[in-house]
Amino acid sequence: MAKPSKDEIHYLLLKLHSLTGIVPIGAFLVVHLCVNSLRTVGVWPYQLSIDAINNLPFLLVIEITFIYIPLLFHSVMGFYVIHHAKTNVHRYRYPRNGLYTLQRLSGAVVFVFLIYHLGTTVAPKLWEGKHYFEAAPFLIDILNGEFQTWQGLLVYTIGIVSATFHFSNGLWGFCVSWGILIGENAQRNGAIVFAAIGLALTVLGMATVAEFNMNPIPVEATVAR
Amino acid sequence: MTEKNLTLKIKRQDTPGAAAYWQTFEVPHRPFANIISCLMEIQKSPTTGDGKKVCPVTWDSNCLEEVCGSCTMVINGRVRQACTALVDNLEKPITLEPMSKFPVIRDLQVNRERMFENLKKVKAWVDIDGSHDIGEGPIMTDQDRAKRYVMSECMTCGCCLEACPQFTLDNAFLGAATFNQVRLFNLHPTGEMKKEDRLNAVMGEGGIADCGNAQVCVEVCPKNIPLTESIADIGRQTTWQAIKNIFTK
Repeated sequence: MAKPSKDEIHYLLLKLHSLTGIVPIGAFLVVHLCVNSLRTVGVWPYQLSIDAINNLPFLLVIEITFIYIPLLFHSVMGFYVIHHAKTNVHRYRYPRNGLYTLQRLSGAVVFVFLIYHLGTTVAPKLWEGKHYFEAAPFLIDILNGEFQTWQGLLVYTIGIVSATFHFSNGLWGFCVSWGILIGENAQRNGAIVFAAIGLALTVLGMATVAEFNMNPIPVEATVAR
Repeated sequence: MTEKNLTLKIKRQDTPGAAAYWQTFEVPHRPFANIISCLMEIQKSPTTGDGKKVCPVTWDSNCLEEVCGSCTMVINGRVRQACTALVDNLEKPITLEPMSKFPVIRDLQVNRERMFENLKKVKAWVDIDGSHDIGEGPIMTDQDRAKRYVMSECMTCGCCLEACPQFTLDNAFLGAATFNQVRLFNLHPTGEMKKEDRLNAVMGEGGIADCGNAQVCVEVCPKNIPLTESIADIGRQTTWQAIKNIFTK
């Protein structure tokens, strides 16, 4: 295999940045919000889903390969992209230019939020070694507490809205830059569809937050049979 | 004189690389006057608002009917051609600045050479045959002809690049005008022969993947060229080219 040129690497990295935003990161976001929304149905189905995930074989390997590495790559490339952007929405006030700026801003916000989110959930879980059936009561206890303060609610609201916006607007950007949506009408209709998806995901996430806030129910570890 | 005066704030620069400074000029307000005629008025007797005699303001212009692109400048904070900027429609006082994404030569004149260099990089032309007759060329459908006509109206004025948040004075970004030319010539039945060369030329640093889809280019294009459609189409063509490169190169 010939050594790739600097230009080829540049193109490949930016395309990978775009792709990793959809799979696996975007796909994970959708699954994550959907699974968590089980909390609105009841504590038991929610605990069951956490049990199922925490009993997956090679969970840490799966998480590192399909979530943490792509996320870190997407973030590093994202900050590279932000560094090269010279936003001018104050001069050229067009909706799409505003979304361009917001896409970069929300990406940075999500990055900071994820440090907090991982720091209060996954990090203590690994640190205290709460695996398998022990994970669910440990995590639910943390979350029950987090959603009781207005600061916690605010942080999660900002985090969820930024993430769903970044994902849905990013879906549109992906479709345009890979040449899936070409015509003016196609791009506009695509934007409407993706806005609806983003809104649905936001409602899903915020409903979960509301449920946690209103009904903080502690749970016991599922007894393995 | 009963004529009202018009105030023009002009950003000036004496030599390339020198520091810019602002000067204010007053010219008689004549109905239907454009920015070029105001600049010509200043040239008659270049005196600033406070009575100081200065060097005349320099600018580029040529066709005076918005088809050459040479009088492109930033008027009231928005990039456009000075020839079609009628003073009656502009907010007063009027501010004139040279484009900020190209090196300034003097006052309102900028060097747009980078745009022409970019056209060379992507081979934005149809190669000529030899001098001998080789018969008729391939036929172009009328639908393609119509599509190409709109794209071919680009006058390399630089509006799309000045307004682009990805395009800066010192980066390598090719910009909307260049991507539009790639699409224009890839759609030509004979130009298509160099299609792969053009696509590979936009698949590197400063290429199509650097576009951030802010879509300001299409909003400021004076010729209403569907630039964002061209960018997305080149996005599709390069995606296929990348896949092809992986399996055939």
